[in-house]
Amino acid sequence: MSSEQSELLQGTLDLLILKALALEPLHGMGIARRISQVTGGTFEVKAGSLFPALHRMEEAGWLISNWGESETNRRAKFYRLTKPGRGQLQTETKRWERISLAMASALRAT
Amino acid sequence: MIRRLSALYRNLFRKERLDRDLEEELRSYFELVAGHGDPAHLEPIKESVRDIRTGASMDILLQDLRYAFRTLARNPSFSVIAVLTLALGIGANTTMFTVVNGVLLKPLPYPEPDHLLTLWEKQLSGDALGTVAPANFFDWHEQTRSFAKMAALDPYPDFILNGYGEPQRLAGAAVSGDFFSLLGIHMALGRDFLSKEDRPGQGRVAVLSYATWQRQFGGGDIIGKQLDLNNTGYTVVGVLPRDFTFVSKSADFQARNQFDVWTPLALPSPPEPWQRGTHPLRVFARLKTGVGISQAQADLDRVASNLARWYPKADKGQGIAAVSLKQHVVANVRTALFALLTAVGLVLLIACANIGNLLLSRAAARQQEMSLRAALGASGKRLARQLCTESMVLSMLGGLLGLLFACVAVPVLVRHLPADLPRTSEIVVDKGALAFTSFVSLLTGILFGLVPLLQAQRVTASASLKESGRGVVAGQSYLRGALIVGQVAIALILLVGAGLMMKSFRTLLQVSPGFQTEHVLTARLSLPPLYLNGYKFGTGQHRRISAFQRALLERVRNLSGVQSAAFAAYLPLSGADNSWSFEIEGRPPRPPGVSDIMNYRPVSADYFKVMGIPIERGRAFQTTDNEDAPLVVMVNESMARAFWPQQNPIGQRVRFSESKWRMIAGIAGDVHHETLATKPVPEMYVPYAQVPNVEARPTIVVRTSAESAAVIGALRKAISETDPNVPVDHLETMQQIVSASVSQSRFRTAVLFVFALLALFLAAIGLYGVMNYLVGQRMREFGIRMAIGASSGAVLRLVLGNAAKLVAMGIGIGLVAAAFLTRLIASLLYGVTSSDAATLTSVSLFLAAVALLASYIPAHRAAKADPSQCLRYE
Repeated sequence: MSSEQSELLQGTLDLLILKALALEPLHGMGIARRISQVTGGTFEVKAGSLFPALHRMEEAGWLISNWGESETNRRAKFYRLTKPGRGQLQTETKRWERISLAMASALRAT
Repeated sequence: MIRRLSALYRNLFRKERLDRDLEEELRSYFELVAGHGDPAHLEPIKESVRDIRTGASMDILLQDLRYAFRTLARNPSFSVIAVLTLALGIGANTTMFTVVNGVLLKPLPYPEPDHLLTLWEKQLSGDALGTVAPANFFDWHEQTRSFAKMAALDPYPDFILNGYGEPQRLAGAAVSGDFFSLLGIHMALGRDFLSKEDRPGQGRVAVLSYATWQRQFGGGDIIGKQLDLNNTGYTVVGVLPRDFTFVSKSADFQARNQFDVWTPLALPSPPEPWQRGTHPLRVFARLKTGVGISQAQADLDRVASNLARWYPKADKGQGIAAVSLKQHVVANVRTALFALLTAVGLVLLIACANIGNLLLSRAAARQQEMSLRAALGASGKRLARQLCTESMVLSMLGGLLGLLFACVAVPVLVRHLPADLPRTSEIVVDKGALAFTSFVSLLTGILFGLVPLLQAQRVTASASLKESGRGVVAGQSYLRGALIVGQVAIALILLVGAGLMMKSFRTLLQVSPGFQTEHVLTARLSLPPLYLNGYKFGTGQHRRISAFQRALLERVRNLSGVQSAAFAAYLPLSGADNSWSFEIEGRPPRPPGVSDIMNYRPVSADYFKVMGIPIERGRAFQTTDNEDAPLVVMVNESMARAFWPQQNPIGQRVRFSESKWRMIAGIAGDVHHETLATKPVPEMYVPYAQVPNVEARPTIVVRTSAESAAVIGALRKAISETDPNVPVDHLETMQQIVSASVSQSRFRTAVLFVFALLALFLAAIGLYGVMNYLVGQRMREFGIRMAIGASSGAVLRLVLGNAAKLVAMGIGIGLVAAAFLTRLIASLLYGVTSSDAATLTSVSLFLAAVALLASYIPAHRAAKADPSQCLRYE
């Protein structure tokens, strides 16, 4: 685990997963890889956090899953966004932008 | 929401498929990451996914419950003892609470009961509340502004019902027109009184109680029927609802809190002048919405000061007191019932401590299991949760059984409650009791569940520190010691309470009532109106009553087994009472608003002989003291002392509110008239034939040579031979009357005694268990001690000394606590103070003896320790 790797803030993981799934359905490994790519390696999501989050979001109705074939022709569970999931992505994005803006201005202030 | 529910359904009932699914998903994930699925990684992740699932906590609960039941079933003797102890404790608490709830806590069974008040006349100089003159009721009703309604009840009318088999006496109440609507009662059948029926000469209508309707008239068609009551026709217009019980304080209503017949009071408007001097009425009022009791009191004070100005002769120095109806009804029993509820709560605490101790022993035995589970990854929180679930299962089972216990016990208890306890018909196991039981079960579960929790903390700590069991045992013995000290202290408090009550009750029974209670039979008669010459005031009007009495006494005296017989209007300790104001010849008149009052007791010639009341000076009444003879009275010792401290009262003359003077012929010994506990007050006896008013309900008292009960049949026969139209009720021996007069005291003494014994028993068992356990733990030590020369006597003393230290501490704490708690029951005690040294000492010694006996068996076991065997264990 790299020392620079940030602890995932509560709520951040949900947003990252939603964002990762916004383009196409992915399996667990794919989601972890996608998050790592888009954040330039800042966030390495471990299975111990990823799977509880996926199952929780599925029970909340933001994701649905079904079994499919992975790129290596293995059976894997694919997740994709539902309509409430897309709505959640939008609200979460707006919320995050507000927070990051507020944080940025707070840190700039002297 | 629906999604959540379906998720819950899946999680609870499709668990295996979900788990297989998850397993496969994770495997494929790790194969993608590392090229192989290492099952060692899977378990923690699976666990954390399971934990976020909807209903996960419920799932854990079900698991824990299943586990708890399995654990308890594996150890049936422990479980049965624990559940039974709890059931007993909780059941006793529920039963006692049901009584307290029915009598004290539940609102009165009327709409908006908080608005109901009773109003009383009250001398401004004193605290005693008095019943109300009709003219005052009239004025209060006219002049107050705070009340939506005001009504009065006269509890004295009696009716003799003719035409339905044997003539029957019915207890009557006359009420003003608003009475039932004030309480908010709707008739089960027919209608309430009309206001036009509440006028003199109009009130020939009656309302029946539900019970009377069922009993006398078989529940048949009754509305509109004519009844012959006191040889007058009354039309029945209504029947009260079945659950209507007129709550009343029995002492006020002469032990007849069930009225059979209700008629209109029909006061004249405006009232007659003489209706300011007689005080028979109970007055009830309902506050206007938004008016508080203090506001109403101010209103009443204003009216009272007006009346004092207008009618100085009757009302000067008189105030009006408002008391909430509920407070009035339960004032006498509040302390006693709360004391009993506290007592039974303390018993439950001791039971909890016992179960806590049992759990401790078990926790020691389960130490390995706990350590193992902790090592396998169960968190401390999870273990604590498991232990809590077990305690809760125990306490809930106990609660359930306790509730069953209460369902059986409550009806039995209600049958044995003192007859003068108010509101007993409202004592039922209901929602309130159910809530209470659940609450108590929960509370007890938490209480004794805490003990193994404290323990669990130590277990995990010790497991991680790789300690042996020794440290745990040391900590445990401290906890056990504390539990024992607490139990002994609580048991002592209860024993002190019970001891004080018993001593008080014994003192009460030893009070000489002032008459001979043995071999006296009494029967109350109700004379039909034909015996009364109207209700005219003055002597000489009721010769028919005298003639009847003479004829009956003649017959009764000739019965075999009868020594003597006489009549009295009011028996001692029967709750019936009458008091009058009087003046003494030659003394200056008292200022307005002040009058000398004495208890007034019409009796016939042989009364003092029958009752065994000594004549101190002068003479008793004779048969010649009749209507035509000079008027005489007798006074009791208290009256002689109070009014003629320096003189001989004999030959002095007194009079009631009439013109004729009556000469004092003799002084009789004091008799406890009101209760055994109250001091005799000034009383005056009047020959029955010379009473100035009508006493139409004479009680015949018969002294028998042997067992009184043997004469009952003959007495009944003699009465119906003298006049078949005279009903008899209250056929009792004098001993029964005395016994009934102390029934409240007897009840609370008996109940507290049972609770204290239960507490003692539980505490002794607890002590025995703990000493036994501790001795078991220290067997090796005792073995070593004896191996190096200690005698078995020394070991015995060592163990007993340990127990004695705990017991002494418990007794010390208990004595301090008892000093505070017993002060609360001081008002229930007679002839003994709450800090009675003899009781405190004897109870402490008794408890110490029982406690040492309980620890003697384990100590004996320790003294028998065989060194060689003990040492071989290691």
